[in-house]
Amino acid sequence: MTTPGKAVRVVIVGGGTAGWMTAAAIARLLPHRASVHLVESEAIGIVGVGEATLPHIRFFNERLGIPEAEFMALTRATFKLGIEFRDWGRIGDSYIHPFGTFGSGKGAIDFHHYWSRLSRAGAPLPPLDDLSYACTLARQGRFAHPQADPGQLAGTFGYAYQFDAQLFAPYLRGLAERAGVVRTDGIVTAVDRDGDTGDIRAITLADGTRIEGDLFVDCSGFRSLLVGGAMEEPFEDWAHWLPADRAVAMPCRTETAVTPYTSAIAMPAGWRWRIPLQHRTGNGYVYASAFVGDAEARDALVAAVEGEPLAEPRLLRFRAGRRRRSWVGNCVAIGLASGFLEPLESTSIYLVQQAITALVELFPDGAPSPPDRDEFNRVIDLEYDRIRDFLILHYHATTRSDSPFWDYVRTMTIPDSLAEKLDLWRRRGRVVKYREGVFLDASWVAVYLGQGIVPEGWDPRADASDPVAVHRGIAALRQEIAADVAARPDHRGFLDRYCPMTDAA
Amino acid sequence: MTEPLRTVLVAGGGITGWYAAAAIKRRAPFLDVTMLATRGAPDALADRIACTLPSIRGFHADLGIGEEDAVLRTGAACRLGTLFSGWADDLPDYAHVYDRYGQRFGATSFHLHWLRARRAGWADAFDSYAPAAALARAGRFVPPTPGTPFADHDYGLTLDLPRQERMVRAFADHVGVRILAGEIADVAIDDRGFVARLTLVGGGSLAADLVVDATGPAARLRGAIDQAVDDWSGWLPCDRLLIHAGAPIEPPVLTPVVAHAAGWRWSSGAQTGIAYAAAHADEAALAALMPDGDRIAIRPGMRRAPWRGNCVAIGDSATQVEPLEWCNLHLALSAIDRLVTMLPDAAMAPVEAADFNRQCVAEAERVRDFVALHYVAARRPEPMWRACAATPPPDSLAHTLTQFAERGRLPFYEEETFSRDEWAAVLIGQGVLPRRVDPLVEAVPADAAAAAMARHKADIAAAVQRTPTHAAWLAAQASRLSR
Repeated sequence: MTTPGKAVRVVIVGGGTAGWMTAAAIARLLPHRASVHLVESEAIGIVGVGEATLPHIRFFNERLGIPEAEFMALTRATFKLGIEFRDWGRIGDSYIHPFGTFGSGKGAIDFHHYWSRLSRAGAPLPPLDDLSYACTLARQGRFAHPQADPGQLAGTFGYAYQFDAQLFAPYLRGLAERAGVVRTDGIVTAVDRDGDTGDIRAITLADGTRIEGDLFVDCSGFRSLLVGGAMEEPFEDWAHWLPADRAVAMPCRTETAVTPYTSAIAMPAGWRWRIPLQHRTGNGYVYASAFVGDAEARDALVAAVEGEPLAEPRLLRFRAGRRRRSWVGNCVAIGLASGFLEPLESTSIYLVQQAITALVELFPDGAPSPPDRDEFNRVIDLEYDRIRDFLILHYHATTRSDSPFWDYVRTMTIPDSLAEKLDLWRRRGRVVKYREGVFLDASWVAVYLGQGIVPEGWDPRADASDPVAVHRGIAALRQEIAADVAARPDHRGFLDRYCPMTDAA
Repeated sequence: MTEPLRTVLVAGGGITGWYAAAAIKRRAPFLDVTMLATRGAPDALADRIACTLPSIRGFHADLGIGEEDAVLRTGAACRLGTLFSGWADDLPDYAHVYDRYGQRFGATSFHLHWLRARRAGWADAFDSYAPAAALARAGRFVPPTPGTPFADHDYGLTLDLPRQERMVRAFADHVGVRILAGEIADVAIDDRGFVARLTLVGGGSLAADLVVDATGPAARLRGAIDQAVDDWSGWLPCDRLLIHAGAPIEPPVLTPVVAHAAGWRWSSGAQTGIAYAAAHADEAALAALMPDGDRIAIRPGMRRAPWRGNCVAIGDSATQVEPLEWCNLHLALSAIDRLVTMLPDAAMAPVEAADFNRQCVAEAERVRDFVALHYVAARRPEPMWRACAATPPPDSLAHTLTQFAERGRLPFYEEETFSRDEWAAVLIGQGVLPRRVDPLVEAVPADAAAAAMARHKADIAAAVQRTPTHAAWLAAQASRLSR
């Protein structure tokens, strides 16, 4: 039999979404290997970004045994089929980046090659959204769980949630504490590091309490108290590609339709989010302070909000980029403490989740070993870099010239890795393929086409079919999707039956 | 609209060229495809090695060639994997099969549970939990059969190469490939670095928008543009092969590969062979073992740019690697597939070639790593083997070894040919064991894991009894065919 090692003493600093997700996962998945102590302060608010998520969150919940309907009711969640982008390529444009495919998902050649061919031939085409089951479902404000068979149209999509992060953390806290996590309220005032190794030995709280540990997890948010602060890991700044550095946020009452999608509306110096929950709608304007003043941004947000405001506008400051290493010595940064990418594609919670998955898979037995640490950093770097390119694409692939901000992002130098991807798309409609990574082919296609970059060339095999037949096929597909979607329930009605919100505990 | 691709010329003397021409014409019928059939290159391993990986079956399926034509009528046989003997002196032989090893229980990979059991002293051989290994060791065969333990495996083929080549040639002809026989006298490169024209022996010349070089290691077309090749000889020691074609006998369903003092030898039915490192081998003694064998030199390595200008190297003109693990034809077919899905226009933009090359390099380097793993993890006393064990592996393989040695983790790479279970089969089979047990396996109590593993083995053992021998299965298929 395996000799169970001494339990690793894990100390988590920070109790927001990242902190409690980490605590719950470690306590549930490594019950014999870890004792978890989480320190948070009620005096420090949580940022609670990432109310909108990616489909991956479902696997996290499943692994932790969180029942969907209960979770949705408690966090007042709604379903999310994708993100609507308005005014990005040009003012007046609107497209959805769906968690699903375009076309039937069946042919030997990807659908977009046929699309490009017809489009370049000047043929009249229906809106691209009509040819995606997920987009059509979203546009019609309907929802039903996807069918298991991906050969069915109603099986060609996934979904995520829009939920109240302020309620998710307490929900996870309950789960974590039942699994044995100890919580202390306090503010960290000192970090004690080993003189030889540089590892953290203990933290001290304002009341003098000293907490020792083997592994420290920094979930302190933008402060990055341990990895950025005590360990002094440098920050790699990506502001030249992602110049937005502030956001002003203000929730309002949900008065209009509860859309099963998040909206990202381009603004003169950034973009505005709209995330409908069951009871309220999250709104915020992400902007570059070099291009617009705080007051002007706040006024623009207040003017755009649709329902009765539920709070005063709140200002957030950030910097795009990441710590050079997320895991340094015996300290791992998870969430905003490790880096920040604006929530344009709802990646914040996803990045937290990937870091937790990697940490659990590479969990130390005593002192962390360099191979584990290096592998963790390799995996996390890859995630950050690929998301970064995808976000930059949204800004860069535009014809907008109506403000200095859009002039800047349209003409800025982009990373070589993205320049090559764009070139391949423009010339041949080719999407650089990865087997892993968060955004796969269909996501790139959605944004490329949605922002008006129709390839100049395509797979020559797409030329082989008779254009009349292709047109007929597209018309038939559109009709089939429309008919199937029309039979699905209204999103709001579905929520009211499936997971009506309960009063927060 | 850009200028479209119209004409393709494939040059080669073996099955690789025929597969390339047939696949391009079949899947892009609007192209004018010419096959220049040259004399075979004796050292083109993709054309010469009878054993193949399972990928060949998907390739046939994409072309619309059914198993009747691809297997039964060409006298091919099925192979479930390879049996390695003598690679780690103190350990028994091990089977690398194209299957899942063990059953998943809990959220962690089976091999991590096996490693805990091994440490506790009650695990049987790793391959005894792979259904296809039990099947193959018993000389039996069934295709994947849902609802039985033999549901998830795949299988490769042992080809009767001359018959297979005739089949592919007939298929190419049938789908409309223009076929010419001839020998290349000269290759003219224009000032863009494109292959402008092939001059043939005895006069005449050929040109095409896109040329595919399947001429073997000589790389008659691609080599005329440049000769830049990465050298892998530091990691892959065998630089000579003896190949012998004997009387047709039924190929084993589990191909034996036996290590010797300076390399290894195999027998796959009619074809047998010996691979060795010339610097360490007693060549006369080896030649005496196989007096009629063809002697072939291998220069292990790859072009980092198999596609340059309008010329794409496929097979041995792109990558040379010893046939251990049977990747030669696999790499060629994979490149053909990639070329079909990435067909360029007449402009041949470098950015498109670069994307193709990136994928080819990633794939070939991981094949190199997998083959090199057998050497770096081998445990034998002879000088060649000691030298291999002492050579630092390529970075990507070093990363795999470090990660596995720590806790059994198998890192992910793009364009992997072999699954994590297959990596684990070779690592464990050659005695590489992690320093510690992954704590995640503790989510399943040890006794529950033991019971599940024992049950899985018992299910396999019981099911093997109900399967036919490989010979009986082939005979049944043949009689079905003749009805």
